[in-house]
Amino acid sequence: MQISAAVADGGHHKPAPRPNLARRKVAGRALVAIASLGGLFVLLVQILHTTGTIRAGFTDWRPILYAYLLWSIALGVGQVMIRGERGLRALFLLPAVLFTIAVVIFPTLFGFYIASLDWNLSSLEGPHFNGLDNLIALFNDTYYWNALGNMLFYTLAVLAEYAIAFGLALLLNTDIRARKFFRVVFLLPLMLSPVAVSWMIGKSLMEYRFGPAATLARSLGWDNPAFFAHPWIARGSIDAMDAWVSIPFIMIILLAGLQALPKEVLEAAKVDGANGWQSFWHVTFPIMLPVSITVLIIRIIFKLKLADIVINVTAGGPGGATDTVSSFIYRVYRDRSNVGYGTGLAIFYLLLIIVFLSVLLRLTSRRMQKVA
Amino acid sequence: MTHQEFDRHSPAGPNRRTVLKGAVSAAALGSTAGLGALTGPALAQDGLRAQISQIPGIGKGAPTDADWQKVGELCLGPTKANVQAGEFKGVELSFMGLNNQNLHNLLFRGFLKPWEAYTGAKISWIDLAQADYNPRLQQAIATGTVDFDVLEMGAPFEGDVCGKGLASEMPDWVKKQIDIEDYVDYLKPPVGTWNGKTYRVTIDGDCHNFNYRTDYFSDAGLAKAWKDAGNPGEWGVPKTWQQVQAVTKFLKGQKFKGQNAYGYLDAPKPWGGFGFYFLGSRATAYAKHPDDKAWLFDVDTMKPRINNPAWVRAIQDVIDALPSEPADQLNADPNTTGFQQFLAGIGAMIPWWGDIGQVAKASDTSVVGDVVGFDILPGSDDVYNAKTGKWDKLASGPNHAPNCAYLGWGIYVMARVNGDEKKHKAAWSAAAHIGGKDLSLWTVMYPSGFQVHRASHFKIDEWVAAGYDRKYITSYLNSQLGSYNHPNRAVEPRIPGIFQYYSIAEDELAKIFAGKSNAQTGADNIAAAWEKLTDQIGRDKQIALYKASLGV
Repeated sequence: MQISAAVADGGHHKPAPRPNLARRKVAGRALVAIASLGGLFVLLVQILHTTGTIRAGFTDWRPILYAYLLWSIALGVGQVMIRGERGLRALFLLPAVLFTIAVVIFPTLFGFYIASLDWNLSSLEGPHFNGLDNLIALFNDTYYWNALGNMLFYTLAVLAEYAIAFGLALLLNTDIRARKFFRVVFLLPLMLSPVAVSWMIGKSLMEYRFGPAATLARSLGWDNPAFFAHPWIARGSIDAMDAWVSIPFIMIILLAGLQALPKEVLEAAKVDGANGWQSFWHVTFPIMLPVSITVLIIRIIFKLKLADIVINVTAGGPGGATDTVSSFIYRVYRDRSNVGYGTGLAIFYLLLIIVFLSVLLRLTSRRMQKVA
Repeated sequence: MTHQEFDRHSPAGPNRRTVLKGAVSAAALGSTAGLGALTGPALAQDGLRAQISQIPGIGKGAPTDADWQKVGELCLGPTKANVQAGEFKGVELSFMGLNNQNLHNLLFRGFLKPWEAYTGAKISWIDLAQADYNPRLQQAIATGTVDFDVLEMGAPFEGDVCGKGLASEMPDWVKKQIDIEDYVDYLKPPVGTWNGKTYRVTIDGDCHNFNYRTDYFSDAGLAKAWKDAGNPGEWGVPKTWQQVQAVTKFLKGQKFKGQNAYGYLDAPKPWGGFGFYFLGSRATAYAKHPDDKAWLFDVDTMKPRINNPAWVRAIQDVIDALPSEPADQLNADPNTTGFQQFLAGIGAMIPWWGDIGQVAKASDTSVVGDVVGFDILPGSDDVYNAKTGKWDKLASGPNHAPNCAYLGWGIYVMARVNGDEKKHKAAWSAAAHIGGKDLSLWTVMYPSGFQVHRASHFKIDEWVAAGYDRKYITSYLNSQLGSYNHPNRAVEPRIPGIFQYYSIAEDELAKIFAGKSNAQTGADNIAAAWEKLTDQIGRDKQIALYKASLGV
């Protein structure tokens, strides 16, 4: 009964690790350890070289990137050697994680460091640490707060964009003639670059002297149709251009939501005697709320980054009336080479956006629960 | 004030006419003196200059890439004298410059194509829009990533580049090849040099001149209306800023050739720092005193003068004039005033670089080629004396102070080629070809982005032979040379970060012009921000560089 005994043993005890597997695990750990130590050593040498502590080092930071790539490869190989099949599975995720660390997490952390520097590219003495001075300066910067105030207007304008987009989505969801054609036509603005829109519309169609929009406005009785010379008109004009590009995005998401609506609910409302408005307000709109909130949040995120149209058409004017935080940071960073302060402004804005969106998500989540 | 009165007030000092006469006489004398020994080569050179100035010919459409290549080919003579055919085979150069209005680098490509074919070198190009130029250059300098061998750059950046040892010193053979002594006086050292070493091949001379519509100021109907409105003096081209203001306000509501008439066009919209030059052009006559070289900062302390009574008066002039300008003028930058308004027939007066004169006559985009006149910038009846804190009336008459804005583009070779002898010679040869004496005649005659910058550019007969109207070109060249050689010219400081000062000012000026603050408060804000910037860049070094740039 040797065979049955062996089968019984196999059911209660793990097979003893094969010697080559153990060696492979040790080799894997050694590989990761050596790669990590090597990478840290190269990084340390370059930091000491850059700070002037030692003479040896590289002329630039590119070798550190190569070291990171080598370490990443070693880490991947090491995972397979140490963890076998599970290591292989990890390889599906590891490159994405390492890539995210390299291009998102590290730059963000590095941004915090840059934001703590007094670094003007024209300064003969180069950058130096100035702690929270950039943050303090930011609180006294009237241009920054003016731009934030404008962002409030631009963000609230998203609600109007949403209303228009909802109307268009409802229209395209009905059985109208040439529905497919209109769906494509309404999507066209979304395919245009905002820079192209700035030139085609802002600097051509709305041009004061020869623009067709200005000519039309004159024929309608507006003597001096200057779209960008008065604060509120300029703000409205900028937002109209941005809205024209973005409404199709909101519309297409809402349209997808509408098409997924259960027909029975709407038919039941009809049977109960609800008119069109009641059917929309008490049935369609509440059911569409999750889609609406998702698209509104995405649109607000896009809106908070508004810069290109402003930079091209008004440069923030007249007198800062159309300035956005991004277009102001662009001037601080690009025209004034004020790297430390510009980065500080950007980091603070990032934190504001994160807080704002977190609060918004929490509030909408509560609202959704109530609706549910 | 009439032309005659203007001339009568300035008989003692050099004026644009006497200076031009002197330059032409000197040029004539020079060519006569050398006649015996150099008749052959001189005639050949004259023939070449006449030949290239006919490509394609003034009034025969905008030049094309084929024209640029043809000019480059014809002007290869000086290169061939210093470089053997195929001598630079295997050399690759990187060239960084602008692509404004499809000029600059696009022309250089055409000019250098025959040079590449002859020498065997290859050039790769980094094209930048004007607004991207400063940040790209500053980032390359600050991060030690200079990735170009040859650079098109303006003199205001010499502090950033030459002051940090990033440029290569010009060899003597290049000075000879480009005939460096031919440059107009204001572009001679210290411009183009740093610590006594020469770095720049000058390809441009920049100064704001005054462009006006001759048909406006010779119109009998406007002259009558001017009189009827009870204005003092005769209707004519303004010679002072006080007259510019009066004419601008008078023209509001008038009709000219069936359209709304406008006078002076301001450029209140920010333009990456470059827009500040246009306030500067209004301010220099008030702020640049003949007894004081400084006009933007105090020499010993770098204390800004932007909030002194002279600059505040210039800012107030803009505020006062804007209601008489087109309704959307607040959204007009200098590109708009120059190319979309003035050259398109809107407005009677603008300050600009010499591009307007070139483009007005030699480009298809202009409708005012036959009705444009030129002068140095208007003067002022009184000038602010920053040392005494009082306004002075000069015995010689109105104070004129042409704004020598930007000091022109130049070609610089970077120090990174110094270690490779062949590459070093190739880079300098390319720079010398673009900045060659004969080739430069073509660039200043046709739309190129570059204006007159050599004494040899002021031979009016050459321009007339190319197709320019004598009266037109005489007026244009007088305005340029009169500005360059003016004893009270306001020369821009070549200090690091100068465009940061301008950019900060533009933001605050935009607020002032939009009515968010008054002239004095806004100017005080600019001054405070400038003080902060000076401290950030390094006050002591800025003071030293500012003094050096003023030659004090």
